[in-house]
Amino acid sequence: MSIRKLAVLTAIAAVTLAACSSASPSASASGSAAGSAAAACTVGVSWNNYQQPRWAAHDQPNIKKTVEDGGGTYIDADANLSDEQQLTDVDTLISKGATVLILLAQNQTSILPAVAKAKDAGIPVIAYDRLIEDPSVMYITFNNVGVGEAEAKAILDKVPTGNYVLIKGDPGDPNASTFLPQGWDNAGLKDKVTSGDITLLNGPDGTPTEAWKTEKAQANMEAIIDKAVADGKTIDAILAENDSTALGVVGALTAKSYGFPPLSGQDGDPANLNNVALGKQYVDVWKNANELGKTAGAAALALCQGTALADVTLPDGLIDPTVAPTAGLKATDFQTPGGKTVSSFILQPTPLTADNLDVAIAGGQISKADLCKGVDATSPTAPAACK
Amino acid sequence: MTNVAEATPVSGKNQPSARPSIGGLIAQTEIDLRLFGMLLALALILLTFNILSGGKFFAPTNMVTLAVQATGVAIIATGMVLVIVSRNIDLSVGSLVGLIAMTYALLMTDWMPNVLGMSTDFPFRWVIALALGVGLGAAVGALQGFIIAYIGVPSFIVTLGGLLSIRGVVWYLSSGAAVSGLDPNFQLIGGGAQGSLGGTLTWIIGIVACVPIIALLIQGRRRRRRYGFPVRPVWAEAVLGVIGCAAAIGLAAFANANLWPRGLAARYAAENGITVPAGGLKIATGFPYPIMALIAVTLVMTWMATRRRFGRYVYAYGGNPDAAELGGINTRWTILKTYVLMGVLCALAAAIAAARLNGATLDVGQGYELYVIAAAVVGGTSFAGGIGTIPGAVLGAFVMQSLAYGLSFMGVNSPGQNVVAGIVLIFAVGLDTLNRRRGS
Repeated sequence: MSIRKLAVLTAIAAVTLAACSSASPSASASGSAAGSAAAACTVGVSWNNYQQPRWAAHDQPNIKKTVEDGGGTYIDADANLSDEQQLTDVDTLISKGATVLILLAQNQTSILPAVAKAKDAGIPVIAYDRLIEDPSVMYITFNNVGVGEAEAKAILDKVPTGNYVLIKGDPGDPNASTFLPQGWDNAGLKDKVTSGDITLLNGPDGTPTEAWKTEKAQANMEAIIDKAVADGKTIDAILAENDSTALGVVGALTAKSYGFPPLSGQDGDPANLNNVALGKQYVDVWKNANELGKTAGAAALALCQGTALADVTLPDGLIDPTVAPTAGLKATDFQTPGGKTVSSFILQPTPLTADNLDVAIAGGQISKADLCKGVDATSPTAPAACK
Repeated sequence: MTNVAEATPVSGKNQPSARPSIGGLIAQTEIDLRLFGMLLALALILLTFNILSGGKFFAPTNMVTLAVQATGVAIIATGMVLVIVSRNIDLSVGSLVGLIAMTYALLMTDWMPNVLGMSTDFPFRWVIALALGVGLGAAVGALQGFIIAYIGVPSFIVTLGGLLSIRGVVWYLSSGAAVSGLDPNFQLIGGGAQGSLGGTLTWIIGIVACVPIIALLIQGRRRRRRYGFPVRPVWAEAVLGVIGCAAAIGLAAFANANLWPRGLAARYAAENGITVPAGGLKIATGFPYPIMALIAVTLVMTWMATRRRFGRYVYAYGGNPDAAELGGINTRWTILKTYVLMGVLCALAAAIAAARLNGATLDVGQGYELYVIAAAVVGGTSFAGGIGTIPGAVLGAFVMQSLAYGLSFMGVNSPGQNVVAGIVLIFAVGLDTLNRRRGS
């Protein structure tokens, strides 16, 4: 990014500001919380794409509530998937008096000029859910390797030995080919394969699923079941990387009337949570975005009061202890793929099984009616959340 | 196919005496050599996989899976033949399948109980849903057909637009999330142990299918005599009859050798108080419903293409559009009808896809257009127009799917499957082109 381009952008930002001083979708009334230590705090949030339902449903309300409960003011802007718009948005937020910024970057490189600008203005920055490679930026996200770990741990605890099937996602996606399998191995899959406790029925690398397509996963799984039956082997457990592939696996198991061996997934999709309630999927690893929002709100308030990045500590009891970072409530160092060290809060994903589905209802991820569709509430095997 | 036209009509006599060669003998039975060649290729593929897998591949269960996986593409391919024969193309089929599958899912999980007031115990919910889906398919097909035939926008453009915009509508309807939980009766459309005819009915159909095969042969022979066309030698008629009957009964026996999975059979026995004999309860599965749907579609479509005026018009238009127009055929109306038919077939394929998944996701049907066109082309449909058969396209779909499933069974993943599918497509069409050039 050249100086000239930056200058042009700033000019555009200034014009935009002058033209419409209320660009933010939900600027709240300021100055209502006078007297508190955080009274001067204005938290500016720049969303990259507020149209995606998740942010409006879970992240935004929790950031806003945490900030306002702490006596701060919440303002935000939506870049609607445009890198350039996001730079303008950040300028707007700074001009409107933001004293700390939370950025959900549309692009982790093109956001850097905005970060530099905030630094110049002495405004601390939090990278929310998406990494920004800068040591002066705090990083708040979920433990993505931990998702795979949680999937495999749940299944390995349930089925410690036997024949496993591995269903992976799109081979071009590093989540599918690297991070999730790394999590599986961290949970002990690799060791158990080496020791012979677990046999992999569909090859050491499993079966990838083009574009994470449900139909493709179903066709692949049907062939795997047929092969296992032909070889006289039983499938004891299935590790599927996410919910769209897990849905295809359930389709194949149903079509083949195979029964439902323990099956993993992630994302907390309503159709899959319903399958967990029905006993067709064993575990669905879910990232509780409500807690991520609370963490960001609390961290923003702390930074606003001048706390150093590395000394930020979350208040006790703010976030669910099962989601809290394993390293504790104080910020910890995180090594970025680019070799930098940033202060961070890395939250734990929540494995949902039939035993704790009420967490998903309480977190607003799914309604009880959708979760328990087709579940016989009177049956003794029905999950507690449906009774 | 050409020997009928070339031979001089000699009343009641046999064809010119048999040349003493295998080719001559086959020619006398008037078997379509192209179809015969494809059957051979299919057999060769299956046999190769059987050898590679140490004899495990050629089991009834596997063949049934393969066939059910091929039904969606095969059903749409029967319509794509007519579209390509009439010198058009339809790229929107995959998106249309996605739209209709999502409609079925939303109908049964949301709209029926919450908007239309049909709760889960409402009678014939699955029939109503299917009818609405077929209606939607026909309507979308009619709209695209109208723009192509009456406004004159090239079909490639119209259906490319359909491919993009219809998928967008699916996204909008579903907000990107999977919808699941269909009516239990609707799920049977997808096949599986319970979505099949069962042992007895399969036997009956296999045996009863013999009657029309023999009746058609006898009727055909009578007609030829009446109009003074040459008839096949009696031995050839007999061979065809025996092969036809043996195929029907053999398929029934094969499908019945596919037994209910052990777990399901045990559960069924427990629920119905049946004592399980030593070696497990053996319940024959028989023909799955989606296969029956495919057979019905193939028969009806073949009948429409070869025996109805509509089909004749499609081939006439494809062979020479100007001549057809000058000959008084309402070509626009004919073209529009091919797209309506396409929409209806997409609705059937979508029903099978949705039933198999017990729901719908944003990506149902994605990429179907390419598999369908590949099946039609491998099955001998020519992009030059006027040439192509419906059974050929169905066989083409089976050839493509047997490769995909076989490689999958052997543990070869998607990239390998795609490489093989692409090579086979080019190879099949290349062979066909050489064959036609030599023939002309």
